[in-house]
Amino acid sequence: MLWTVLPTSAIEALLNQLLALDSASRSRLQKLQGKRLRVTLGELGKPLTLTATDQQLLLSWVDQEPVDCHIITRLAVLPELRDSANITRLIKADALDIEGDPMLAQAFSKLIADLDIDWPEQLSQRIGDVPAQFVVQAWQRSQRWLNQRREDQQQWLRDVLIEEQRLAPGQHEFAEFTENVQALRARVDRIEFELKERQRGQ
Amino acid sequence: MKDSNSETIDFGYKKVAKGEKQGLVANVFNSVAKKYDVMNDVMSFGIHRLWKRYTIDCSGVRSGMKVLDIAGGTGDLTEQFSRRVGPTGEVVLADINNAMLEVGRDKLRNRGIVGNVRYVQANAEELPFADNSFDIITIAFGLRNVTEKQKALESMLRVLKPGGRLLVLEFSKPVLPVLSSAYDFYSFNVLPQMGRMVAGDAESYQYLAESIRMHPDQETLKGMMETAGYEQVTFTNLTGGIVALHRGFKF
Ligand SMILES: C[S@@+](CC[C@H](N)C(=O)[O-])C[C@H]1O[C@@H](n2cnc3c(N)ncnc32)[C@H](O)[C@@H]1O
Repeated sequence: MLWTVLPTSAIEALLNQLLALDSASRSRLQKLQGKRLRVTLGELGKPLTLTATDQQLLLSWVDQEPVDCHIITRLAVLPELRDSANITRLIKADALDIEGDPMLAQAFSKLIADLDIDWPEQLSQRIGDVPAQFVVQAWQRSQRWLNQRREDQQQWLRDVLIEEQRLAPGQHEFAEFTENVQALRARVDRIEFELKERQRGQ
Repeated sequence: MKDSNSETIDFGYKKVAKGEKQGLVANVFNSVAKKYDVMNDVMSFGIHRLWKRYTIDCSGVRSGMKVLDIAGGTGDLTEQFSRRVGPTGEVVLADINNAMLEVGRDKLRNRGIVGNVRYVQANAEELPFADNSFDIITIAFGLRNVTEKQKALESMLRVLKPGGRLLVLEFSKPVLPVLSSAYDFYSFNVLPQMGRMVAGDAESYQYLAESIRMHPDQETLKGMMETAGYEQVTFTNLTGGIVALHRGFKF
């Protein structure tokens, strides 16, 4: 019982905290109010039921009551569902089964996908303007530093592979090689043509 | 006919006159009302929240439904039902004890639960509601305090709508003997001490431990529900049977 209720309650609490950070969530939830979606993933076995109330999203592994839409699929297929053009193909390939209203599943996923959280604003509400400004700047600095490091590393990797170890060709070498291949292909084509001509001439 | 005062009934391990138990139970909850929520968390290590959540998830509650949370005390279940039935539904928080109801009312108001909750002082044995009024009835950790349990089960059946269900969440009999004796030690030695320290009231928690032991076990309660007229009665053991959730339908 502990393990069927505790994880979903924890995720549910986290999810609702997140939703509350975007003031538009309220109206998105209200449109879905009372709607229920169930997702059964092959890997998990246990069906997860989502219920929208006007203020919250509720999760349950225990709930076995009827739902408006039931999706049966595998974890790996989930990202593909974002594009509704894939749905028919996935159903035909037996990778997906939907009972009920398929639009509902997308409406639920939009709750999360459309989340637009103004992090600097949220921070300043919690810890005050000045400290928030400080944190945001520190964050941006560390992002810049990280990007710089990443670029440096990529440069270093290029140098090692190309110049020192000669495991990979440099840009010029590669261009030269491509040209040579094209010249070779042209010669082969010419020889092939000449051969055919001769065969016909015999 | 016998005078009801000359018959005796369990009050924890003591035998008391039937007419007396109700008053004694009232004393217990009057004295713990203010500290009730804290004690619940302390005594069960917070697990009571999961037992209650499990109950809600098994209730089949939908927006627009009418729910009765009898012996609802400080309203933990009522709060969750209220969010789920929404503005078109209604939850009635009923309890025999006014002190508990007051604590519940204040708590729920502070949490913004208003509009769809009604507070009613009522005895589970004689519910003051019309026949066929509720889609769901819950009684959580309440039935063992009721003097005439069978009568209470019948009264709840009467006010349940056809198709509606009753959920009884109550302490029960642990399945494993090891768990059973560890639990005994906890409830008779640790619990009253904690009651003394946190709530300044060891006696009430001694009663709690005793009343748990005197409460019918899983199969007995299932039988009582069937006798009262519930159908498709089932139960689920939670936390090794320390608590059980019984479910029954009215058709
Ligand atoms: C242990 S509390 C449970 C409160 C709440 N349901 C919860 O789970 O936290 C038991 C409650 O049952 C109430 N109670 C006892 N006998 C009752 C009766 N005959 N009818 C209605 N309520 C009763 C008490 O007043 C008390 O509030």
